[in-house]
Amino acid sequence: MLSSLQNPRQVAAQLMNFGLILSTAFMMWKGLSIMTDSPSPIVVVLSGSMEPAFQRGDLLMLWNRNLFSETNVGEIVVYNVKGKDIPIVHRVVRKFGAGPDAKLLTKGDNNAADDTELYARGQDYLNRKDIVGSVVGYMPFVGYVTIMLSEHPWLKTVMLGIMGLVVVLQRE
Amino acid sequence: MYSSVVRFQNAFSFFTTVAFVVAALIASTDLLTPRTPSVGVLKPTNVQVVRGRPHYYSSKKEEYAIIKFSLDADLSSLFTWNTKQLFVYVTAEWPSAGGSGSGQNASNQAVIWDSIITSPSADHLANLGPIALKKLKRSAQGKSIDPSRGKLSIKNQRPKYQITHPSGKVAEQEDVVLRLHYNVQPWVGFLTWNQDVDFWRWKTLRNNLSKKFTLPSIKKKDETKKAGA
Repeated sequence: MLSSLQNPRQVAAQLMNFGLILSTAFMMWKGLSIMTDSPSPIVVVLSGSMEPAFQRGDLLMLWNRNLFSETNVGEIVVYNVKGKDIPIVHRVVRKFGAGPDAKLLTKGDNNAADDTELYARGQDYLNRKDIVGSVVGYMPFVGYVTIMLSEHPWLKTVMLGIMGLVVVLQRE
Repeated sequence: MYSSVVRFQNAFSFFTTVAFVVAALIASTDLLTPRTPSVGVLKPTNVQVVRGRPHYYSSKKEEYAIIKFSLDADLSSLFTWNTKQLFVYVTAEWPSAGGSGSGQNASNQAVIWDSIITSPSADHLANLGPIALKKLKRSAQGKSIDPSRGKLSIKNQRPKYQITHPSGKVAEQEDVVLRLHYNVQPWVGFLTWNQDVDFWRWKTLRNNLSKKFTLPSIKKKDETKKAGA
């Protein structure tokens, strides 16, 4: 136990290894971000407003480039509202005009009313720039871990504790 | 080297690899299934334009159109084992004042009606009351795929959503068309919409446009009352 403390070379190697893993993950995330032109190319569904298609904890892959056509009615988009930092996944149901100034209205498939109430005060429509990406891919349940971690903060402590214990107890 | 931690890590990474490969294989089977959706009828049956508040939360009075329509379509080939639900929707499209023509370049588009058709394997997730849910489940008892749900035959359907325009005016609008769309949402994999061109075994949705029609002028209040009485 604690044998690694006696060998600084080994400690350095382990630190390097750890840093390599972190930077690889970061590079892959940012690479995906550049490829899809979206600040967050993968999102976890947080609400049930698109049920039954998307449940809480499902993983969505986004695409934010308009290669062949503009963002159109019927696409499921993730958007941000000014002043609120929770991204929302809903379907575009109305579009007036074309280009970057087109007025878009969204609605959750499982909601009775459209999203006018969710938008910022005085905002009736979304613009293209409010949209983070359109949903192209779907993977069920994988993101539920992040919901668990954010809703039960003590799990984070437990996980960190286990990780720390593993590092300390691990013998190379 | 062979500590329990390493063993656990190996087992977990093998599990995730297998899970992702299986998911990718399932998702790719979508491509193998031919899609031959067809539309028999799509036409407006009754169009009205009213001036009022389209929603209870509307802050101002504006013109809105109520388009009743009939639809006959066969989307049964879209149901496969990886189909979780089919989202079917009808849009009304019209060109803007100085803009381009209707159709693909239409600059005003609004959904007037939509419907979620779940696959029997996803029935338990549907947002329905207990009685309707029981009925839905019984309709496909013992089947995990039920293509007959893709056969739509709707007559003189009331729209779910009224059409408005940011300008507040829709009366006497010319060159309005209805268009049928669908969105296949899978259990795992890529979401797909009706595509514009044939893609190997997936055929386009032909005949999904109605004839052009013109929205009528505003219906007078007393006229509506008479019609109601």
